Amino acid sequence: MTARWIGIVALMVLTGCASNKAVVREPAPVAAPVVPVPAPAVVVPRIEPAPTLPPPPPEPLPEPLAPEKPVPATPVSSLLASVQAAVAAGDLDRGAALSERALRISPRDAQLWYQLALIRYRQNRVEDAAGAARRALSMAARDQVLLAAINTLLQELASKTAR
Amino acid sequence: MTPRNASSGRHQDSPGPFRRWHISRFLWLLLLLAVLLVVYRCIWIDRKVRRDFEGLQWALPARIYARPVELYAGVHMSADDLVDYLQRLGYRRTAKVERSGEYKAGGGHVVLHSRGFRFWDGVEAPVYADLVFDGHHVSTQQDEHGADLPLIRLEPVEIEQVNPVTGEDRMPVSLTEVPKQLLSAVVAIEDQRFYRHHGIDPIGILRATWANLRAGGVVQGGSTLTQQLIKNLYLDREQTFRRKIEEVVMAVSLELHFSKEQILTAYINEIFLGQDGNRAIHGFALASEYYFARPLGELRLDEMATLAGIGRGASYYNPLRYPERVVDRRNVVLNRMHDLGEITDKEYETARKAKLQVREKPINSNGYPAFMELVYSNLKRNYQKDALRTEGLNIFTTLDVTMQSKMEERLDNAVARVERSGHKDNPLEAAVVIADANTGEVRALAGGRKKGYSGFNRALHAVRPIGSLVKPAAYLTALESKKFNLASVLADQEIALQQPNGEVWRPQNYERETEGDVYFFDALQRSLNLATLDLGLKLGVDKVKQTLIRLGYTGDAQPYPSFLLGAVDMSPLDVAQVYQTLASSGFRSPLRAVEAVTTAAGQPLTFYGIETKQVADPSAVWLLEYALQGVFEHGTAKTAKPVLSAHLPLAGKTGTTNDLRDSWFAGYGNDLVGVVWLGHDDNQETGLTGATGALQVWASLMHAIDIQPRQVPAPPDIKWDQIPLAPARDASRRDCSATQSMPFLTDAMPDVGISCEVNESFFERVIDRFRKVGQ
Repeated sequence: MTARWIGIVALMVLTGCASNKAVVREPAPVAAPVVPVPAPAVVVPRIEPAPTLPPPPPEPLPEPLAPEKPVPATPVSSLLASVQAAVAAGDLDRGAALSERALRISPRDAQLWYQLALIRYRQNRVEDAAGAARRALSMAARDQVLLAAINTLLQELASKTAR
Repeated sequence: MTPRNASSGRHQDSPGPFRRWHISRFLWLLLLLAVLLVVYRCIWIDRKVRRDFEGLQWALPARIYARPVELYAGVHMSADDLVDYLQRLGYRRTAKVERSGEYKAGGGHVVLHSRGFRFWDGVEAPVYADLVFDGHHVSTQQDEHGADLPLIRLEPVEIEQVNPVTGEDRMPVSLTEVPKQLLSAVVAIEDQRFYRHHGIDPIGILRATWANLRAGGVVQGGSTLTQQLIKNLYLDREQTFRRKIEEVVMAVSLELHFSKEQILTAYINEIFLGQDGNRAIHGFALASEYYFARPLGELRLDEMATLAGIGRGASYYNPLRYPERVVDRRNVVLNRMHDLGEITDKEYETARKAKLQVREKPINSNGYPAFMELVYSNLKRNYQKDALRTEGLNIFTTLDVTMQSKMEERLDNAVARVERSGHKDNPLEAAVVIADANTGEVRALAGGRKKGYSGFNRALHAVRPIGSLVKPAAYLTALESKKFNLASVLADQEIALQQPNGEVWRPQNYERETEGDVYFFDALQRSLNLATLDLGLKLGVDKVKQTLIRLGYTGDAQPYPSFLLGAVDMSPLDVAQVYQTLASSGFRSPLRAVEAVTTAAGQPLTFYGIETKQVADPSAVWLLEYALQGVFEHGTAKTAKPVLSAHLPLAGKTGTTNDLRDSWFAGYGNDLVGVVWLGHDDNQETGLTGATGALQVWASLMHAIDIQPRQVPAPPDIKWDQIPLAPARDASRRDCSATQSMPFLTDAMPDVGISCEVNESFFERVIDRFRKVGQ
């Protein structure tokens, strides 16, 4: 019996040590599974729910970190400045249009999709907000701050839908 | 003779004073009545002129614009493409850029001065920019002081107008928007005493009469600008005395109630200056765009004099048809301006010697009929045709004119290269849809193989079986279920299926061979019918149909097994919708051609905007895409690799239908999704598979428009593993001496008996083996 167990263990050890390294076919060139570098940090203002909706108010939405030092203006950052100005002025349609303009330039920018989701949320366009938020979620990779903010928004949207 | 007769004769011979008084009174009454009638008519005319002129509003056509070009460092655009775009906008090439609407190009630079434009989301100010190009990209863009410009949006190209029923088109402008020299030219040649008369000009009439008598024919008109305006607004071409009188009354009435500036403004917008097919060109602003392809503010003196001169007879003095005649007329205008001291000697000499430079034939003279059908289809949800014909709306579409041109220029030849001979009377037809992969905005569309084809729009209406284009729906269903992964082994073997009508269906692979055990990813890449049936029947056909519906299919095909091999009819536009959803990682954005609509004054009316809805698991779509990229590497699209070498990796799928009646290819890169269909309108055989027909056309077009490689980062729940090169259903047949790397969902990894992974720790492998032995 002991000999049998010794034999089994020995076989396992030998099998475990065997090497399989003989790659002959390259994988199709899908981009390597790298974690994308998050877009330059952009200050996304917390947007309160539309005043026409009944209480209770949503959970505060986390704010992404502000940049530590000034970065050169990019097309997206200059558009985001205009988005924030439009939103601050209450012109949500224009804010959304400018967000979409930025998205055409940088379509895989999770921050931009999140920005658009916030505006749609404030416009009470719940489905559109959820779509944009989920898209942001699919692109946020391991940006924990942004992921938390998106999830908060999605929870709020879910509760709004439930109400 | 009776007394009565005698009496009557006496009365006729010598009427008495009483009777004369009666006649006289009757005549006076008649005269009074006539005067009253004339006065009444004058008052009526006066009120009408005043009322009409106060409320003067032209029915304005909707203007339809293509997508504007956005410029920023890194944007994908060559200097040649930018110059082509500027020429479409009528920019003038100069040695030194000083004014808006000018550019210069050379040495890897394009320097331009944009005009500015009111878009749906705000006003874009004019800007001077010096752009440096690095191949097909803008590397830097700076203003005249050397400061970086983050973003420039150029004006959009106008692609069509929806003209009023009258056929009149115009671009109303205020007097302040009209160059002073153009006003001087108009007044000088049409009505020198405009600012001094009261609607009619007796001196002008005498002068014209004298000039005409001396010349023995009509060489000069005596009508004032006011009379000409009246004629244009109210009267027809009838030249009767009564018309002339009414014209005079109306002109005087107009002058009584309105200022010279108001009258001149109406005149410069109303005057007929040309005919473009069934579209009448009215007003100087539109004429400037029509003849010189640039706004009034950018015209040179000689061009202004040309426009002022053709007002006399727009057909006779058509600058596009009779350039010499028009130059003579222009010089008459310049001469008159010079005589009146409106221009200096130097200006006169320079303008007189200037060459007439009318616009070239429009770059796309056939317009964009196939795309416009989609635009109208999108608009009809919110706008009635009447609103488009009268309100002067600005409609901003998603069309990329550069991409559309490149596609149209190559399509016919690309189709001809794959077309089999013997179909001279029944040519192979084509449809193409190219859309933004991320937003669903349609960038280019062809309803037929010929450029500007305006007949049956196959891109929208040719609803045909899609063949193997349906297969990704089955494979996605499987990946989402997590019961399958890319290394699952499928059975590619003969099968007999009982159909609802009792007949037995024995499907085959295209090559009429069976492959036995094949990997999941390989079956998709090589488009194996029998392996797909094996998979689809395990999943359930209805589940696959539901996936196709999630991706964008809107039809009601029956979920028979043949559905799995493409017995489902769709238009190229519908197919593009399905593949757009895949290209955006499972987020469906309805394909659309309209971005926004604004009023004539630029106030936003409707934003269409990006809609996006998650309809599939992004990680499962990413895995599916891994297999679809392999279609170009190892699968049915590998013949396109040489043409697309600079653009790979790309993802795509071929589609062929029974008896080779339809040849399809659908594929996508980072930026675009494109669908090509080839077939005959009468459903004859094409002799082409998806790979030998549509794929070749697709590759040619995508190379021309420089599709961007597909590079999507793996989602966090993807893990790579090694699997044997040859498929094995269990550990006993596994041969790890030759392996390949494959991505998996972390919760749908390959069975440990299949995996050849060596990266696990020794301890993990020992545990795995122990577990296996235990099993």
